[in-house]
Amino acid sequence: MGLRTAAPLAVCIALAALACTDADDPAPASNGDASQASSTAVPAPVRPEENPRADAVPALATPTPQPIPAEGPYGGVLVLANRGDPPAGFDTMRTSSIALHHVGGALFGPGNLVMRCRENLYLACPYLAATWTVNPSHTEWTFTLRDDILWHDGTPFTAEDVEFWFDLALNGYKIDGKVRAPAYFKGDLGEIVSVEALPDNRVRIVLGERNRFFLDVLANPRLKFAHPKHLMEPRLQAGDVSVSPLDVGLVGLGPFAFEAYDRGTQVRVRRFDAYFETDNAGRPAPFLDGIDYVIIREPAAMDAAFRSGRLDGGARGFGHYLTVERKRGYDGDLGDSVFYAEMEGGMFRLAFNVLRPGPWQDARVRRAISLWIDRDAAIPVALGGFGWTTPSLGPPNRFKDKAYVVWPTFDREPLAERRQEARRLMAQAGYSEGFRMGHLCRARQATGCQLLQAQLAQLGVDLHVQLIDEGEWNRARTSLDFDSQQGRLSVLPIPEGTEGVYGAYSVSPDSYAKHEDRKVTELYRLLREATLPERRLEVWRQLQRYIFVEQTYIAPIAEAIYVAPYRTYVKGLVVPPEDGHTHTDFATVWLEGR
Amino acid sequence: MTYGYLARRLALIVPTALLASLIVFAVMRLLPGDVAATILSGGGETTHTPEVREALRTELGLDEPLPVQYGHWLWAMLNGSFGGDALIDGQPIRGQLARQAPVTALLTLYALALTLLVWLPLGVVAGWQRGRWPDHLARLAVLPGIAAPSFLLALLALLSLLLLLGWSPPIVYAGPLEDPWRHTLMVVIPAALLSWEYGAHVLRVARAAVAEALAQPYVLTAVAKGLPERRVVLGHAFRNALLPVLTTLGVQFGALLGGALILESIFGLPGLGRGLVEAALVRDYPVVQSLVTLLVAAVLLVNLALDVAYARLDPRVSFADTPQAVAA
Repeated sequence: MGLRTAAPLAVCIALAALACTDADDPAPASNGDASQASSTAVPAPVRPEENPRADAVPALATPTPQPIPAEGPYGGVLVLANRGDPPAGFDTMRTSSIALHHVGGALFGPGNLVMRCRENLYLACPYLAATWTVNPSHTEWTFTLRDDILWHDGTPFTAEDVEFWFDLALNGYKIDGKVRAPAYFKGDLGEIVSVEALPDNRVRIVLGERNRFFLDVLANPRLKFAHPKHLMEPRLQAGDVSVSPLDVGLVGLGPFAFEAYDRGTQVRVRRFDAYFETDNAGRPAPFLDGIDYVIIREPAAMDAAFRSGRLDGGARGFGHYLTVERKRGYDGDLGDSVFYAEMEGGMFRLAFNVLRPGPWQDARVRRAISLWIDRDAAIPVALGGFGWTTPSLGPPNRFKDKAYVVWPTFDREPLAERRQEARRLMAQAGYSEGFRMGHLCRARQATGCQLLQAQLAQLGVDLHVQLIDEGEWNRARTSLDFDSQQGRLSVLPIPEGTEGVYGAYSVSPDSYAKHEDRKVTELYRLLREATLPERRLEVWRQLQRYIFVEQTYIAPIAEAIYVAPYRTYVKGLVVPPEDGHTHTDFATVWLEGR
Repeated sequence: MTYGYLARRLALIVPTALLASLIVFAVMRLLPGDVAATILSGGGETTHTPEVREALRTELGLDEPLPVQYGHWLWAMLNGSFGGDALIDGQPIRGQLARQAPVTALLTLYALALTLLVWLPLGVVAGWQRGRWPDHLARLAVLPGIAAPSFLLALLALLSLLLLLGWSPPIVYAGPLEDPWRHTLMVVIPAALLSWEYGAHVLRVARAAVAEALAQPYVLTAVAKGLPERRVVLGHAFRNALLPVLTTLGVQFGALLGGALILESIFGLPGLGRGLVEAALVRDYPVVQSLVTLLVAAVLLVNLALDVAYARLDPRVSFADTPQAVAA
């Protein structure tokens, strides 16, 4: 997630959490939205403007939902490209692959107990849980589940399923010396002391420490319930510790049920008639008869298929998102019959390993490198032409106030001035003659590395690009075996969630920059303890300035815009402002006049 | 040729394939990278703790000593499960092979058939008409097949079809019995491109071999005896030119499979090549070991078949057991 998104997102989510969970009165959904949600399957989101603290919220426009035809938009099979086979047996606990989540949204649903609201993805809405309460210390959360939810095999979804899911995610499984690993997101959930199924289809989750943002943690669309207890537990007890959702028939809770999976070819899902959501008019979702996810690994092949009318929508995922050049071809062939979903993408950056000896251990050198880079040049070269370096160029996002976009406002001086300062800093640090620095580079993002190599050569920095494939990237990026790297991970969409990628190495080996700066740890502590939104934002800004400017552990360069094509007859698509990889919700989609 | 010879050659395939599997096993383990981290990172998008990664490594058996890991894989090969389960998704490799091998086999077969039906005859004609327009035309036709990488030709083909006809091949693979028309539409271009590359080598060798054979004294004798030119070429020169052609077919068979790996990805064919590339990228060790071992065995079998064909084509070649027989 881009940094610029985190601040407003944090405020929104915080307010959503506060709105749903009044610390002084642990009654269900204090402002009534969530309790209202229990009677309608697609509940109204918890809106900041309805909250007494809404004055602290940056201007959030009221979303305008797409009108759905009154006569009922049912029917049709949507054909989408998928960038690869869903890995890990479709196990959402094991991997967050885009190839899995594109399909997972349909099979397993867009959320878990809660989900991101369709009308505003910066808010949390009820999903499998109708209501929830929290105690004053924000350590004990009690969710009341809907009583009309069925697994795709017809088995009722119960609190025991939730208990089982959390236990599997947090502890894995052990039997007869065999071990199942916990979920990859175990760390994101924080310290969970217990998860207990209570009578009346309620679940109590007790946290080890105060977490006002637990709803936001849960609303992460990667956390999907794909593990029916009644099917998986017997397999686990029989010693099959690695049993995956695919092994038990991909029985989910989502709007579409599994029909067929032909490895390397396609995944077919079809409408689940007993799905619990309805639209505001009371019509049961989903509207489509089904979705065919055609596995197309090669972006050029996807382009040809889309442009020749074989696809209704493109794949999500870096490489498959369009570049300016490829979009030109789409425009030429299809004109107005195609629309482009624009989503904020990840940041293109340069992160330093200051735990490894070298000139980059000097903050002046890092700052000089950051100042030297021509950020605007990165957009056409490294980001396929879709990206931004100033807030006004970002993708449309009516939910966020541009004032909260922090990092691009740093270093807005003309490039010539910045470069002059960069040379001065290099000379001051004693490196006016330059030096050699390694750079860990994913092979599929090589052009960005080549751009940095060419630019930094003018500063005298000989950037030694180490091209590596995905297998090595995922090992090396968490090691200390490099001087600098790109870093590219999605993190929890709240400032506190960024410690995993900006924090000290001992706190998170996944950090883009490797450092052991106690001040960063302290700032994150202050962030977690901030109770007022103003204070939280203040600390967050301070933190960004410290990481990006004062210490320049990370040099932010440009923010990507991900562009996915869809035919214009695809209506009702939830286009997320960001994190399009995992916000894959097709329950509200219909086809009009195909 | 004797059955003893065949048996020995077949028996040799086993240690050769084993040796290949050992080499692949070693190379894969020497390559930097971690399949557990790759699975958990979901394509490098998410964080995970070292504790979870270690737990997954244990679950996948990657913390066991290397000889033990190799032993497990070998046993899984020998007991009929073709290497056990894939690490990336826990699914049986046997099932993967059952789905993917026919796709690659068919693609390879089509390319081979096109080579034998189109490029080989063209090579013969080019050799026969050496220096004349059919020769020039044939050599010109194979130039892109030799000079351009197959992925480039594939992308050009896709783009050309799209721009000229507004058409692209179907995107969901179907077997030849399931939907013959869709199957044909999906495989015809990759098979043609594959045979273009493969057949280019065959054509050039066939051309040279036929031209050389036509210059031999026995051909002059045949011509002097008044045999028709066509019969001289096909009955005498071509038969003698077949040996180097067969050699090329065998030598280039590996390249044919290599080309299939690339084209399968571009044209959405769920074959072994695509599976192998994907497995290698994520360090799915047992899948790579199993597929490479089987491909090695396939190449060895093809070479054995060619050796047998030598004996059939050339009476001077014998696989008899005794030196006397060879001399005879």
